[in-house]
Amino acid sequence: MRYKAKPLPPVNLPELRVVGKPLRRVDALGKSVGATVYADDFSLPGMLYAKVFRSTVPSARIKRLDVSKARALPGVACVITHAELPQAVLVTDIPGQTGQKRRAGSDAHVLAKDVVRFVGDPIALVAAETLEIAEKALKLIEVEYEPLPAVFDPLEAMKPGAPIVTPPDNIVSKYKVRRGNVQAGFEAADLIVENTFTVQFVDHAYLEPESGVAWVDDRGVVNIRVCTQVVEHFRSIALALGLPHNKVHIQGTMIGGGFGGKEDITVEIFIGLLALATRRPVKLTYTREESIMAHAKRHPYIITHRTGVTRDGRITAAEIKLVADSGAYVYLSPYVLLYSVGVATGPYRVDNLSVDAYAVATNQVFTSAFRGFGAPQAIFAAECQMDDIAQKLGMDPFEFRCRNYLKTGDWGVNQQIKTAAWLEETASRALEALGEKTPDHGHIKVGQGFASYMQSYGRMMYLHDTSQAWVGLELDGTVVIRSGIPDLGGGQVSAVCQIASELLGVPLDKVQIYHTDSALTPLAGTTTATRQLYMSGNAVYQAASNLRKVLLDRASKDLEEDPANLDMADSKVFVKNNPEHFIPLPELLAKCASEGIHLSNLAIFRAPFTSPIDPENVQGDIWPDFTFGAMAVEVAVDTETGEVTILKCVACHDVGRAVNPAAVKGQIEGGAAQGIGYALMEDCIVKEGRIQTPTLSEYLIPTAVDVPKMKVIILESGTGVGPFGAKGVGEPSLTPAAPAVANAVSNAIGVRMKSLPITPEKVLAALESLKQKEPMA
Amino acid sequence: MLPEFEFVMPRSLDDALQVLAVGSPDVLPIAGGTNLTVDMRSGRYEPKVVVNIEKLPELSGIRRENGQICVGGGVKIAELLKDGLIAETAPVLKAACAVFASPLIRNRATVGGNLVDGSPAADTAPSLLALDAEVELTSQEGRRRIPLDEFFIHVRKTARQPNEVVTALRWAVPKPGTGSAFYKLGLRKADAISVVSVAVVLEVEKDVCRKARIALGSVAPRPIRAKNAEQFLIGKVLSRDVFEEAAALAAQAVSPISDVRASAEYRRRMSAVLTRRMLAQAAERAGWKE
Amino acid sequence: MEPKVITLTVNGRKHQVALPPNITLLRALREYLHYTDVKNGCEKGDCGACTVILNGKAVNSCLVLAWQADGGEILTVSGLGTTSTPHPIQEAFADTGAAQCGFCTPGMVMSAKALLDENPHPTEEEIREAISGNLCRCTGYGAIVEAIQIAAERLAEGGQK
Repeated sequence: MRYKAKPLPPVNLPELRVVGKPLRRVDALGKSVGATVYADDFSLPGMLYAKVFRSTVPSARIKRLDVSKARALPGVACVITHAELPQAVLVTDIPGQTGQKRRAGSDAHVLAKDVVRFVGDPIALVAAETLEIAEKALKLIEVEYEPLPAVFDPLEAMKPGAPIVTPPDNIVSKYKVRRGNVQAGFEAADLIVENTFTVQFVDHAYLEPESGVAWVDDRGVVNIRVCTQVVEHFRSIALALGLPHNKVHIQGTMIGGGFGGKEDITVEIFIGLLALATRRPVKLTYTREESIMAHAKRHPYIITHRTGVTRDGRITAAEIKLVADSGAYVYLSPYVLLYSVGVATGPYRVDNLSVDAYAVATNQVFTSAFRGFGAPQAIFAAECQMDDIAQKLGMDPFEFRCRNYLKTGDWGVNQQIKTAAWLEETASRALEALGEKTPDHGHIKVGQGFASYMQSYGRMMYLHDTSQAWVGLELDGTVVIRSGIPDLGGGQVSAVCQIASELLGVPLDKVQIYHTDSALTPLAGTTTATRQLYMSGNAVYQAASNLRKVLLDRASKDLEEDPANLDMADSKVFVKNNPEHFIPLPELLAKCASEGIHLSNLAIFRAPFTSPIDPENVQGDIWPDFTFGAMAVEVAVDTETGEVTILKCVACHDVGRAVNPAAVKGQIEGGAAQGIGYALMEDCIVKEGRIQTPTLSEYLIPTAVDVPKMKVIILESGTGVGPFGAKGVGEPSLTPAAPAVANAVSNAIGVRMKSLPITPEKVLAALESLKQKEPMA
Repeated sequence: MLPEFEFVMPRSLDDALQVLAVGSPDVLPIAGGTNLTVDMRSGRYEPKVVVNIEKLPELSGIRRENGQICVGGGVKIAELLKDGLIAETAPVLKAACAVFASPLIRNRATVGGNLVDGSPAADTAPSLLALDAEVELTSQEGRRRIPLDEFFIHVRKTARQPNEVVTALRWAVPKPGTGSAFYKLGLRKADAISVVSVAVVLEVEKDVCRKARIALGSVAPRPIRAKNAEQFLIGKVLSRDVFEEAAALAAQAVSPISDVRASAEYRRRMSAVLTRRMLAQAAERAGWKE
Repeated sequence: MEPKVITLTVNGRKHQVALPPNITLLRALREYLHYTDVKNGCEKGDCGACTVILNGKAVNSCLVLAWQADGGEILTVSGLGTTSTPHPIQEAFADTGAAQCGFCTPGMVMSAKALLDENPHPTEEEIREAISGNLCRCTGYGAIVEAIQIAAERLAEGGQK
């Protein structure tokens, strides 16, 4: 079937000078020559090296813990256990928010007191003169465990009588949606399709393992230089260290990959405690094995869809059940679960809807934020379900979706869609670009598949999100930005520089940003939830606009023109219809300075503030907006070995406005690759609580040979709530990948793939199941 | 962290053999380090003495002598991959080298090191077994040559004695009418530990099989030859049916385990599938036509 | 286990450093000689972040024992170019967005250098194969492949190595 791109509505996006150009990012060259100083690249004189002593069992009471031999080892500066902790509280609740009461039950222990709940649970900390001595000290720590009952399956953990990981009943969060009349909807259906889908634990596998250095300075301030997505953790860190908030100073580094894995507190409290105890700088860098064992994973889910449709392809009712594995500690599970609920149906109109969602504790590695934050799991299930329904109706999968796609003004699961929802536009373009199917040959069957998605950007509005930014001009006309914004590699920092450059008419290479410092830069909020371009982009936009206004007002006197007739570019203020009439920026700035006019502006951008929703029926505005898009994939399946090769891959997203198209393309390709890994090869296998894939040779992520050259189509509806009409693409870029791949494989072999990852063995098993259904091969 | 050890850097093979002469498993040679460095870090091996044999001239060289190809034990995988003599006379080995770990590892790893590691998944093993390679083991007491098939004993257990170094691999220059094929099945398309690998070398004359070698990796506690399948093929007029039957016999020779990468059953099935395919490919390259 | 003084010529600079035998080249470079441009992603040869060019070959420095590199020549990313004088490969990486978080970039650039030294006009397939030992989690490899292609063109034009 030949697909044709649906024509776009007319959009009038003004051509800008800097924004919208694929300029070289401000951090690009430093990274390319190896000059960027990451967390582990930094050392201080007299620095100690830390190691963490961790549980080797998944569920036990600590009968005896003896660190005396470790303490006595020459070269060991200090050993800390729960007994020595001032506060012992690790806040695992939503980071970086003010005004939001901390969720009850959201605290874990910094170090285990009596009970360990997962393999890797931290028990003691060691700081020593060298890494070798610290490792030796770990081996001298004696521990005796009394095994306790354990549970490793969320469905088992929900049953009465199951071992309790999180009191009272292991259910750490639950949500319901009840809308319309589901019963009537099913009765009106010509066909009811039911499927259960499962997705696995995956690891962020950022190239940079967790790392940080802490030191106490002459003011008694604990400084922590760390790769973190959240500098606002200083508050929770202060609590754990027994210090006031203003005595903890986070210096965030350029992060070597985050994806949500550095969203929770990792090394900060450990090194803060050791620095305070020893009064020396302390460094802690996880080994890769430690990173895989001890940091958060993506939630595995079991998702059941029951959908009623009419013969002509309209959804009449849907009943969806989601069970997420929360692991040993709650962390961000309630929020991840909520995000899944918000897109549980996929981007479709479902008036009669029932959703039940549970996050359940088990004695496995804890699960928390990972790019997409619950949406990839939900969309995987929803999009495979849609393809299955289409197949059973005998309808083209795109045609079926077109009959149900959300349109602007419709209600999604919980809230109304207010901006452009270019679902048909993106899917049709992706399918058109995918082209004709490569023919089958021999035992190779080729299939095509696609997935549409919706993914929120911006945080839940009941968190009352804000971002602050300071923009100023130096007397020589160079620009300074101060923002707490953490950069995890997605170009967060460069994007805001580009915005300031546009508004102030100063070339990008004359913009300098000072960033990610909890004490010295205005707090910009977390680099999570695809919120930075929206929030900090808008904050910088505001600050730069305010500054621009001041300058144009002052310039209007000299140029004798109304400020509305003036513009700024190339470090000049000039008259729009007579550019020869201008004043150079440094000249203007000198006048402002001598007249006592402020050459800077501190702005705060506020997202809309809402109230928390009722978990018994999740209805109402939660997120500021959604990004919509699609991916289409062609795969070749070797029907004798089950090996899957991606032949073609197309992604099409409406990003609202691409501030830097090269950066947007990079995010889209990177998200697609990570999603392909999720689909085909990534599996953090946990057996009886133990991770069976401890290093990157067992836990496989795609190499350059595993992904093809991708085609990226960027659409700009200009309707986003970010600066210049931008939406967000950091997380959305991953969300459609796995279902697109699964749908393509299903198309190739004629069997619905319902479980990730799609390994060669699973493909063969699926082909086997097909043979068993057909009496004659 | 690596454990503490004495590191001896001999300048000649004799000097190295002198250190190894003590004959203790606590004294280990290191060449590229792509296995041993990793194994020391993980604690699998904690040698008291490590002997650097990386650049010993006696372990280098790829040459033709006396109707045989002779490869020094210290020859790096990257060298084998680029070498013209190997390309010409042992394409089945070149094919294995092309998918051996990553280009970075190939620049360090040696063929001798790949074999003494004794992993059932050793990438060069099936090809060398299919070439009927001989291993030369040298110690201060002298040199001995054994068929590679006798060199592998069990998981991480080989015939190498603690005082020995693999100094060379040798195999006969292939006769005209020889065709070969190799495939490594992994869970991603590069830099993957093999799930199953198969190497086949056939000598074919007028569509009749004169000699067959079928070797498999990752399907038993050591790399193996499917000897019943090989026997079956001798004297047979080659056809798709014959390949199918031989492949079934090969699948009976395996004793795979289930692990994180695959189940035993899948490995068994793939042994048959890949053997069948490699037989057809090798036969075609030997001049057989369907 | 006595330390020994070894000589490592890094980026053209001769260093003499005393270290014990159980130190890898990676640790020697980062911890003893302060070449923190060489990164540690896994310390067991799986990720390629620690790639340097040793005596003309791109290798995982985490697998080389420092004593084995004694007398050798090592090139790291900071020796290839700097922010004021970047190498064409580094310029190309910066231009195409091949560095997002940048952590894989030092190793990736060295693999690219090794490739172009040996094969000045690689196909896309050859490029992907040459960097198959360098994992990247951010870019999906597209911009990296582009950067290497552009670098190859620019080097061919400029005649610079």
